[in-house]
Amino acid sequence: MVSYKAAMSRDKQIVRAWTRAQARLGRRNARPVIAAGLVGTLIACAQAACIAALLGPVLAGHAAAMQIVWPLAGFGCLAIVRAMVLALGDIAAGRAGARARRRLRQDIVQTMLSAGPVLLRRAHSGALAALAFDRVEALDGFFARWIPASILWVAQPVLVVCVVAFVAPHAALVMALCGLFVPFAQAAFGIGAAVASRRQFLAMTRLQARFLDRIRGIATIVLAGRADDEAERLAAAAAELRKRTMTVLRVAFLSSAAIDLAMVVALVLITLGEGHGLVAQRAAGTLDPASVGRALFALVLVPEFFAPLRALALAYQDRAQASGAAESIHDLFGAETVSIDADEGRQSHDVPCTPGEARPSSVSVRFERVSFSWDADRGASLSDVSFRMDARQTLLLCGASGAGKSTIMELLLGFVSPMSGRILFNECDVAEMSSAQRARYVAWIGQRPVLFAGTIADNLRLARPEASDEALEHALAMASADFVSALPQGIHTVIGDGGFGLSGGQAQRIAIARAFLKNAPLLLLDEPTAHLDPATERAIFDTLARLAEGRTVILASHSHAISRFGAQRLDLVHGRVLESRVVA
Amino acid sequence: MSRVQHTPLVDQRTAFAQIFGVWRPCMPRLAIGIVLSLLALLAGLELMWTAGLRLAGMAIGLWAVASIVLRLLGAGRVAGRYIERLFTHDAMFRALADLRVWFFRRLAAGSAAGLGFRRSGDLLSRLVSDVETLDGLYLRVVVPLCGAAVALALLLRAALPLAPGLAVVLAVLLLMAAIALPLVALRIGRHEGGSIAVAQAALRNGLIDLTAGLREIRAFEAEAGVASRIDVLDESLSRAQGQLARKLALAGAVSFLTGQAAIVAVLAALVGVGMTPLHPAAGCGLLFLTIAAFEASSGLTRAGVLAGTMGMAARRVVESADQPATLDRGTRPAPSGTDIALRNVSFRWSPDRPMVLRNVTLDIPSGSRVAILGPSGAGKSSLAALLLKVAVPEEGDILLGSEPLSTLRDDAVRSRIAWLSQATHLFDDTLRANLTLGRRDVTDDMLWRALDQAAIGDLVRGLPDGLETWIGEGGTRLSGGQGRRVALARTLLADAPILLLDEPTTGLDAQTAADFFSTLNDVAGDRTVIMIAHRLTGVERIDRVWRVADGQVMPAMA
Repeated sequence: MVSYKAAMSRDKQIVRAWTRAQARLGRRNARPVIAAGLVGTLIACAQAACIAALLGPVLAGHAAAMQIVWPLAGFGCLAIVRAMVLALGDIAAGRAGARARRRLRQDIVQTMLSAGPVLLRRAHSGALAALAFDRVEALDGFFARWIPASILWVAQPVLVVCVVAFVAPHAALVMALCGLFVPFAQAAFGIGAAVASRRQFLAMTRLQARFLDRIRGIATIVLAGRADDEAERLAAAAAELRKRTMTVLRVAFLSSAAIDLAMVVALVLITLGEGHGLVAQRAAGTLDPASVGRALFALVLVPEFFAPLRALALAYQDRAQASGAAESIHDLFGAETVSIDADEGRQSHDVPCTPGEARPSSVSVRFERVSFSWDADRGASLSDVSFRMDARQTLLLCGASGAGKSTIMELLLGFVSPMSGRILFNECDVAEMSSAQRARYVAWIGQRPVLFAGTIADNLRLARPEASDEALEHALAMASADFVSALPQGIHTVIGDGGFGLSGGQAQRIAIARAFLKNAPLLLLDEPTAHLDPATERAIFDTLARLAEGRTVILASHSHAISRFGAQRLDLVHGRVLESRVVA
Repeated sequence: MSRVQHTPLVDQRTAFAQIFGVWRPCMPRLAIGIVLSLLALLAGLELMWTAGLRLAGMAIGLWAVASIVLRLLGAGRVAGRYIERLFTHDAMFRALADLRVWFFRRLAAGSAAGLGFRRSGDLLSRLVSDVETLDGLYLRVVVPLCGAAVALALLLRAALPLAPGLAVVLAVLLLMAAIALPLVALRIGRHEGGSIAVAQAALRNGLIDLTAGLREIRAFEAEAGVASRIDVLDESLSRAQGQLARKLALAGAVSFLTGQAAIVAVLAALVGVGMTPLHPAAGCGLLFLTIAAFEASSGLTRAGVLAGTMGMAARRVVESADQPATLDRGTRPAPSGTDIALRNVSFRWSPDRPMVLRNVTLDIPSGSRVAILGPSGAGKSSLAALLLKVAVPEEGDILLGSEPLSTLRDDAVRSRIAWLSQATHLFDDTLRANLTLGRRDVTDDMLWRALDQAAIGDLVRGLPDGLETWIGEGGTRLSGGQGRRVALARTLLADAPILLLDEPTTGLDAQTAADFFSTLNDVAGDRTVIMIAHRLTGVERIDRVWRVADGQVMPAMA
């Protein structure tokens, strides 16, 4: 329990550190926003001076001493300038938000890419995408509003007080005191409440997730005849969500009520204080337009003084978003930093192991007492696995799910590295190859190939970016992907979201064409027909047999159709090699 | 089998009408909220007005304007605003909660429930946030618009007696700020919002590609290309958002300028430009009132942009909840017999799509075990949908215990047929909640018996939290085989005489699937078992095999 708490507080520190680091990075882009805010305040002061100059004489009854033209024109011109500054500030804020989001997204994408497929063991791909998209989008307010507001809430009021102090020191004092009351008031009902609001924020997120989960599983609920009951429970959950949200909002509203209160008090005190002096002057018959003007000046600037405080209160929820984002980023990648460093370290001592051979034409594979574990708590996924295959041999991996077949594939692909033991290609330790070198050896076809949104040609060129259209056509022909030439736009047909929908068999043929194009000596086939019906499966295996010719092949499949690959067989049980024999 | 709908969205007015219909029970509360917020606004406006009057009054000796009024109004403004905001937000959240529940009920009642694969999770998640977007409708549009109306009335009341010309100018400017500019912003937002939505969708899809394709990317060393592609998409999103931000900033600046123009107008009137000067005290009060009135309606321009988004959100919410409510609802209870018979059944998902099943006749006697095989898309799952009354045949009859399915109540049918498929959802909840799905008439003994029958009881006993174990989103804390067994236990708990298994082992390896089927053989007892699959593994105990191809169902050798 103690260690759990310690871990929690360490996590909290990391989150705080992340938020602080982001704020530091965001501040540079926020500079124009802050500058615009400060210039706006100065213009507001000048406008207040115009009003004072205009109305002072009117109110003092000295209409003759009145200057009309320049204060009125000045006020108008300043209004136009201020509107422009306002617009520029808004645009700058938008830009600061956009820049920060783009930087952050680049960071996250880079982290995901360098962590690689291991991430998919830890989180659903949808959740990862949501982190890189929705979480980052939601941080816009943090960079566009919170960071400038966190500086302006001090700078702007100080500026106003300084200006007013020159003209009406008493009024300035009142303003400053009322201003100081705000943070005190917020601290008084804020500190405990801030902690509460953090907890509420988490509870809110959880309740939202619950609603989403129920909607996703609606068919299960309906077909089990539980819809009415579930709707009632949902109503209860929604009521709970409302109550919790209101608790959070109450804090926010209290804090802005404190600001309102301070402002009203300042208005009333300044009105009464200055007014009192004026009444005395009037009684003495010495009412001075300038002193009326001074009172007006101070009064007009009261709202300007409190506006930044209110902006800060409004931006507070943006701050909460940042903490939330930091937590989910930390949850996902926190453990990752170590292995990424290791990866970079390996690439730095780039000793070419296969001298002179840019494109290896054949490869032998050897596992030397390889052990690996995905999760220390659950024990080893592979323990002490050794086998060897000569070039152009085929090996069949057999065993129940969880026996370690996919782990062997992922080790060969370099998604993960062995915890002990060595993997050798052509008698070279792959740990000493750069990942680019190793990638040249391996072509891989998994259960469901991921095809990226884009044209068929784009998807094929993933394997060889410089390939000519003819080469692509050839690869498709080898993969028996005849359906492509029947499409009106051929290889330039857009597939994926919003494009042409491919069947499972067709997608697998594209993946095979990709492997033909890559022309690597080691072919890894990981349940390539698991989701296909028997007729399609047979056809796909025919094509795979052609692809396998002259290559080293490692195949994991439960299908009976694989008997044609007269092969060595490796039986795995709980990560250990059971026996190795030749069938057929 | 998923039906892609390309029907146009319902139009905005109908959508809003429907949403307001759902909110009818909340209307009194929402109305009170508006009244409260108007009172708070009035207090605020009066405060500014009186402050102006009073200041001027003191200067020129009208001491009569009571300072008590000022203080009262000040306190009233603060307390009023606090209460008003609490109340309006609370009323709004109640309305949103009602909308969510309504949405859920409609989805459950309508055919949109489908078999769980009609609509993607992405669309659903967007609908969740769409409901949230709608909170702006009341808080940012309706309430401030009412406020602007009150401000206008008060402004006219103050200005008309002083100078009718000035009153007209102020009214026109306020109407510009509260109505004309928001409408312009609405148009801008609708236009730019479209291109932002496109850019967002592109980037989101790019990122989904990236995360789903991490393996391919690593295997093909395509990291750099993918990263730069994402960056290009991100840039075009930033550009679209930047364009909207610029136009919005411009609209905001113009809105600010209308307020400033109004101040200039009052100032000019005060010093008597082109007219006899206003009485200083009254003019000063008017000046302060003008400032406050325009401040109150300054948020509307920004709300105008959001209104476009809200309109879209309303349409999406209503559209997806607005599925035709299920077909003909029967009224009769379930018959005691459980023989199933299909008589000349033809079916398609919609009139503009080809027939999935043509003239199918099929008998599944009570207690028999049949398999229905065929390639994907042949109509196997349509058959399941028909039996569960999620869809109705275009022609022909389906009989359950010699009663036509169409005359039976939906829940009566579903109490006789327990459905298990790969789409059977495991909820992000405890094991117990997943098994009972909220039923309270289930004892622990029954739970354990079902778990033992599904051959997972021992594993659950070994878990530290037992039945209270949290199984994670989609059952991610369980292995695939374990998750399927939990779903099986749930199906067995339903105690229905017919088990409908729609490819229950997809995604499981052969050994796990075989184990699953041998468990099933043991526990099915004398229930009818209908198994839908690509192929048989050889472990299943089956009396009859049917093959589906080209819309026909043919007997095949067992």
